[in-house]
Amino acid sequence: MIMSFSLPLVKMQSLHKSYADGAIQVLKGIDIEMKPGERVVVIGPSGGGKSTLLRVMMGLEKIDSGSVTFDGKPYISSGSSESKTVIDMSVRRSIGMVFQHYTLFPHLNVLQNLILAPCKVRGEAKSKAQDRAQTLLERFGLGAKAKAYPAQLSGGQKQRVAIARALMLDPKLMLFDEVTSALDPELVGEVEQVILQLAAQNMPMMIVTHDMWFARNIASRVIFCAGGVVVEDGPPEQVLGSPKEERTKEFIDRVFHINQ
Amino acid sequence: MDYTFDFNAVSLAPLLKGLWVSLELTVAANVIGIVFGFGLALLIMSPFKLVRLPFMLLVEFFRCTPAIVQIVWIFYCVPMLFDVFLDPITMGVLALGLNLMAFNAEAYRASIQAVPKEQIDAGIALGLTPIQRILHIVFPTAFRASVPVLLTNGIVIFQQSALVAIVAIQDLMYQGKSLATETYRPIETFTVVALIYFAVSFPVTQIVGLLERRRQLLVS
Repeated sequence: MIMSFSLPLVKMQSLHKSYADGAIQVLKGIDIEMKPGERVVVIGPSGGGKSTLLRVMMGLEKIDSGSVTFDGKPYISSGSSESKTVIDMSVRRSIGMVFQHYTLFPHLNVLQNLILAPCKVRGEAKSKAQDRAQTLLERFGLGAKAKAYPAQLSGGQKQRVAIARALMLDPKLMLFDEVTSALDPELVGEVEQVILQLAAQNMPMMIVTHDMWFARNIASRVIFCAGGVVVEDGPPEQVLGSPKEERTKEFIDRVFHINQ
Repeated sequence: MDYTFDFNAVSLAPLLKGLWVSLELTVAANVIGIVFGFGLALLIMSPFKLVRLPFMLLVEFFRCTPAIVQIVWIFYCVPMLFDVFLDPITMGVLALGLNLMAFNAEAYRASIQAVPKEQIDAGIALGLTPIQRILHIVFPTAFRASVPVLLTNGIVIFQQSALVAIVAIQDLMYQGKSLATETYRPIETFTVVALIYFAVSFPVTQIVGLLERRRQLLVS
């Protein structure tokens, strides 16, 4: 693959983040470089900083120190004063995110949910956005749901719409924050299928998940994050199959034990 | 008890005339309450303490004093203190409208603050500006959520409007009192008056119930 020799897509340098005036340190120096086309799955215990990492990447959280560059451009840096985080808004627009809880706007139908941002943020013509939205919905098997309201959808359908909504802005990187954790077990598959479909098209993504089956299937690389640092980083066969670090091994054993 | 009811003595014409006045007061007070209540809600949520505090005090003043005291105070004190003389109906609308404005402001504030943080996050992730997030996500969601409370407050004001009879506004209650005195039939008259208030309010409370049930279905 030629792309793997190009610039890193994401370069996080020494990210630090704490809550409650430094009392709770969530990220204690994270350095991650992500190449274009990579699908990074972040696993680890709750409170280990996985979700915070994604939220920082989306520009939803301030950082204490460190920096992120995206596609060679400076994206996030801790500004001059301590409480100031500088986020480049135009860079942020090339990143899409899907959350654990359904975040569809309840007063808008599916189609309106999809076209809101393209029309308002990019000034796209409504008819053009609607056409794109309809195509995307068809692709995700939701063509018939365009006029439905979020409350009329199942959890799985809602998450698929949320993914479609993020894709409407043609992101260069997709972030998935435990998108199947709130779903009934029988609905997890349909959402994971959609993400696998994106993976097949080489969409770069960072995924936080507790579903190890899914992690193994989708990841090109797995990062084990605990206590605010990257403990282990490598291909899925290694990190999930035969981890080098004791902490990773313990975690994997426990998770697979629960899964069985 | 050997009381003989005589409902024939209760002539409906003056009562319906009074009802019309009550409805006028209610509708006008609701317009003030719904429109200015929203503005007041924004003021009490202001990030600036100097803006927020006086308006919070204003809201609490209306919430923590009896409506009848507010009506009487506005009727007697406003003309004397501010040298403003308005016709009684306008004064009544003002008194009821300000009271409703305070209660509606609280309803708006509660539903604006109840918009889940995840919704805002999703708006940020989609690149919406802060103003766009407020206009396209927060306000529409919050307004929908506050409709049942606004309707309830509105119907409470219809009932509170009976209090303006004390300052000689010829509303339903006032007409009822006059009729009762003229006919010496207070029991019959006030029964009919009560039934008229009920006939107007009851359908609205049913609609509120329906909206809330529907909303619960929608939110889950």
